[in-house]
Amino acid sequence: MKRRNFYLAGFLALLSFDTLAQICFKYAGTYALPLDFELSWFVRLFSRPWVYGAIFGYLGAFVTWMSLLKYAPVGPSFAASHLELVSVTLFSVWLFNEPLNAYKLLGGSLIVLGVLCLAKSEGKESGEDKDPGEGKDSRAV
Amino acid sequence: MASLAALLWFLNMLVDTGGQLSFKAAASHGVPATGPSSWKEHWKNMVVRPWLWIGIGCYIGEFFVWMAFLSQVELSSGIMLGCFNIVVIMLAGRLLFDEKLTPWRVAGILLITGGVAVIGFGGAA
Repeated sequence: MKRRNFYLAGFLALLSFDTLAQICFKYAGTYALPLDFELSWFVRLFSRPWVYGAIFGYLGAFVTWMSLLKYAPVGPSFAASHLELVSVTLFSVWLFNEPLNAYKLLGGSLIVLGVLCLAKSEGKESGEDKDPGEGKDSRAV
Repeated sequence: MASLAALLWFLNMLVDTGGQLSFKAAASHGVPATGPSSWKEHWKNMVVRPWLWIGIGCYIGEFFVWMAFLSQVELSSGIMLGCFNIVVIMLAGRLLFDEKLTPWRVAGILLITGGVAVIGFGGAA
């Protein structure tokens, strides 16, 4: 039970950090256009605040991710962290006026269904496998 | 997808997969079967091995590649196309870490691949 709460809190933190980072990434990349593979692109990138928001979100997600990876297998945890797809898509409609067309709705739904399948696979696994760290799991992140 | 966007998408897939696999190696190599004895010891164990640093290198590369990619496509399309990394990482996890491909995981891989293909065909630009 405690382990479940630990995972839930971890994934929620990961989701928030990831969503923040993606929005900042988009702003940073857009304001740094044109993409010319020269020093001037990096200068434009770092002269706006967005890249620093992206770094903050990236670092927060990194620390959360490394703490989770200790016990969870790489594939399914990676999948669970990708539910950011939904939050980022909602924000992109609101902030960047991106249309939600039929392709995106169908494609996005298929991906979310796929992610749920991976999460289901994960739930079965952790029921079978005995976690070696169980019993002394009062750790906090 | 324009060819520049496609190239950046592919590059991002390479560094992301490399980074994730390195972090998995960093977090699991040298950990005793009973689990790491403390948070400090776990990190001490990780910083002296190359995997953590290789992973960080990949992540720094990915940082710029991903930003360049997102400046070429819509954020919502970009984030969906980026989900193909899940499939690549699962297959690599099967190859390198013997992680099982259960029927649910195979279904997940097929659905995500289908979803990414739909976004791609929808002319993500």
